[in-house]
Amino acid sequence: MNERLEAMKKRVREREHAKLRQDIEVQPDNDRYEREGVSWHGRMSDSFRALCEAEKPIILDGERIVFTRTIKGIPTPAEPPEVRAAREKGNGSVGVANISANWDLAVSQGLLKRREIAAASLERMADDEEAVQSMTACIEVIDAALDLAARYADEARAQGRDDLAEILDHVPAHPPRTFHEALQSFKFLHSLTWMQPTAHVTLGRFDQYMLPYYQADLDAGRITEDEAYELLCELFISFNKDNDLYPGVQQGDNGQSIMLGGVKPEDGSCAVNALTYLIMRVSHDVNMIDPKINLRVDTNTELDLLIEAAKLTRRGLGFPQYANDDVEIQSLVNAGYDLEDARDYVVAACWEFIIPSVALDVPNINAVNFLAAADTAIREGLAAQDDFDGIMDRTRQNIFDQVDVYVASWRRWSLYHPYPWYTVLMSNCLETGRDANRGGVKYYNCGIHGSGSANGADALAAVKTFVFDNSVIERGDLMTALVTNFENDEPLRKKLLNEGPKVGNNDDYVDDILIKLFNDFADACESHKTDIGRSTVVRPGTGSAMYYVSLVRCKQEEMMEPVVEGASADGRHKGDFIGSSLAPSPGVQIRGPVSVLQSFSKIDYSRICNGGPITMELADTVFRDEDAIRKVAMLIRTFVELGCQQLQINTLNVETLQDAKAHPELHKNLIVRVWGWSGYFCELDEPYQDHIIGRHMLAM
Amino acid sequence: MPVPTFLEYGRILPMQTGIVFDIKEFAVHDGPGIRTTVFLKGCPLRCTWCQNPEGISSEPQTMTSPAGERIAGQRYTSRKLADLLNSQADILRRNEGGVTFSGGEPLMQAAFLAEVIDRLDNLHTLLDTSGYATEQDFKLVAAKVDLIYFDLKIIDNNALLHYVAVDNTMIIHNLRLLPSLGTPFVVRVPLIPGVTDTDENLAAIAETVKPLAGLKRVDLLPYNKAAGGKYAAAGMTFAANYDESREVNANVTPFEQRGIPVHVA
Repeated sequence: MNERLEAMKKRVREREHAKLRQDIEVQPDNDRYEREGVSWHGRMSDSFRALCEAEKPIILDGERIVFTRTIKGIPTPAEPPEVRAAREKGNGSVGVANISANWDLAVSQGLLKRREIAAASLERMADDEEAVQSMTACIEVIDAALDLAARYADEARAQGRDDLAEILDHVPAHPPRTFHEALQSFKFLHSLTWMQPTAHVTLGRFDQYMLPYYQADLDAGRITEDEAYELLCELFISFNKDNDLYPGVQQGDNGQSIMLGGVKPEDGSCAVNALTYLIMRVSHDVNMIDPKINLRVDTNTELDLLIEAAKLTRRGLGFPQYANDDVEIQSLVNAGYDLEDARDYVVAACWEFIIPSVALDVPNINAVNFLAAADTAIREGLAAQDDFDGIMDRTRQNIFDQVDVYVASWRRWSLYHPYPWYTVLMSNCLETGRDANRGGVKYYNCGIHGSGSANGADALAAVKTFVFDNSVIERGDLMTALVTNFENDEPLRKKLLNEGPKVGNNDDYVDDILIKLFNDFADACESHKTDIGRSTVVRPGTGSAMYYVSLVRCKQEEMMEPVVEGASADGRHKGDFIGSSLAPSPGVQIRGPVSVLQSFSKIDYSRICNGGPITMELADTVFRDEDAIRKVAMLIRTFVELGCQQLQINTLNVETLQDAKAHPELHKNLIVRVWGWSGYFCELDEPYQDHIIGRHMLAM
Repeated sequence: MPVPTFLEYGRILPMQTGIVFDIKEFAVHDGPGIRTTVFLKGCPLRCTWCQNPEGISSEPQTMTSPAGERIAGQRYTSRKLADLLNSQADILRRNEGGVTFSGGEPLMQAAFLAEVIDRLDNLHTLLDTSGYATEQDFKLVAAKVDLIYFDLKIIDNNALLHYVAVDNTMIIHNLRLLPSLGTPFVVRVPLIPGVTDTDENLAAIAETVKPLAGLKRVDLLPYNKAAGGKYAAAGMTFAANYDESREVNANVTPFEQRGIPVHVA
């Protein structure tokens, strides 16, 4: 990056723009809403309008793509009386987060065209109260956005930035005329999405919807690759500007994820283009936590593209994350998505596969705790003198019970929170006069994470081999050891940990149990087809999110998920972490990444569509030269060819991490992958730091 | 230790067993492509800069580190080890790789190693050796593999014995056998500051290897300052008798002057 960009990045890291924030809070006008009986839609749009009006246009020195937040909080209007009454009866409300807008549509049409469509629906559906409320609200938010954009243009003129004023006069109201205008339009629309109560605003297939503008500029000789590179760098730096205001478990957990590559929805042909490559280069050079890069690959993907991706992996940012089209598209089709929609998939916040534009799936509601399911089955089964099949049956029942509890709780959600701004950004909502969250889109499915799978399978395999097949451990001794947290039997713990069959070594003995756990999970989800409210499927997944900490460290009363309170038969001490998504259990010895891929390739992903990556740590010394980078690319190709679903490779040096924990002041810019997102190591809470250090100690 | 366990061509043959202290997949610096390195346990050289101290003794030992405990040293029959490697044969072949046998000194278990290689399913094999072996053992394995990484440290015997427990005689003898065996080889020189990286030693190495047909190149491997990292875990003491902090002299001139391809890793 050139000096201008480096300086811009430095200012963002030092949060200079935060000094411009106004010390005000925008309050929803709840008294008036009550007095005038304003609809839920109208309350949302009015609060959004009030926030837009209170925002102050900010154009920082030399910026060519603008938008900076000055107000920290988001007004959340009171629900109308009938919604409050329903809530008091036990109904829950469903908000919108973790979805991917139709950025292509919104940018390419421009807000004036979107307004026209809303106005036509309003006129056409004048006797449909829901449509009238929704479309009126959508027009109000569009007008508020246009008004704020106009004030930005005025500010540009006032600062003598006529170049910028010309752009801001045109977008986001109209279709962009240039690549630069398209980026500015997108920046504006995306930033406004954060100004409603939501989380995880993903960026979707950026290399697809931005290509036409880039290509047209190239063809007309209006832009060079270097100029496009500079604009993209500036845009990417800007994603890090206000990310302290975005809600998440830890800072960085904000879902600003881009999905690159893949296939075209209409015919399944390869969608990789010049921007795919350029964006990876930009991400490499910008070297910040946002946006996170995902890359869709398949067996036809060129090794050259994987080499570029491996160079980005070497950066140690924890991305790109790889998704296998050969597996995932079919899996989504099996779950009931139309083929064209399935081909268009992106990731939500971390790894959850979602369909942009036409779906409001909620892919991360709860997590099945496989280790809890196995651990309870082992304890009860040993006490009841079960044989091993009996313990496996109990495990299956426990998985079913967990899923049943989650689904039963979702059934109480019947209050669908309107989202006028998202309604403007999604397909077919303005066209049909329906709010995106209230009937406007095609899919409203739910997804459950699947965490602790390797620990669960290892625990069951240890019991199978040591208690049943080889009879070298007595039931009573194992029970005592588990209850006492191995206090008086460290040799037994070491036997379980070091000598048992472990997931990640391509050993069918234990991998078969892993497969069974996920098949049971898929069966449990499939048993709920008609009783899940407006959803048609419950999507099982392989991810863990923050559950790798919370499921073994939290108190049961804090969690809906069953917590593993004690030690477990995989040789794990009470309170020790479980693995992240699909990874060998922490602390087990494995031969390396090829066996790990082989183990996890055995899962029947055709029934597991929600996502959750195989997570591996490679030592930074692996990436010594071009030849080694090519080998990393071949490893990624192996992931595809083995038929795995999703992969995340993290690169770091364990000494650096330990030093960063001891001397955070020296490592302010150290970036690590946490679960499905990257963050600054020193800004993480200690348990997350420790989990990452533990993972890298076992780096391959 | 030969154990009669399996039938082949209608007669009972003894199957060799060997002791392995680690198997590492995706060993990107141990040869071409994606490959798995098998570390055979036991080495008579005892180089003072050895980075794999758990490879020195021929007996299993426990490695203890903050990441947990593991046993270094597992006994395999040749079939069990070959089956394990063959279970990834498709992947290794597809990715221009194969299997590297390292150590320790793998030729200490030459009969076992030869049997493992015979059982491999058309996999590229690489022998990473110090060259310290009887001529018979050396020929047995060297003739079977596709590529050899031959480590050369110090040509002058008196200097060598200050750092290594054996002398050069067998090593140089075996090195000179290579052209007649026809197996291509790479000479690898660990650059130990002030020890192997002197201009005189590098020139002597260049002079020694220059006439040998089949030499693909010389790799100079700069000293790894983490060399002593595993000693505590192995319950051993690292005692470098050289100055670790000195910059290494990665002087390629003696090789280039003689027209030998040289690469600094």
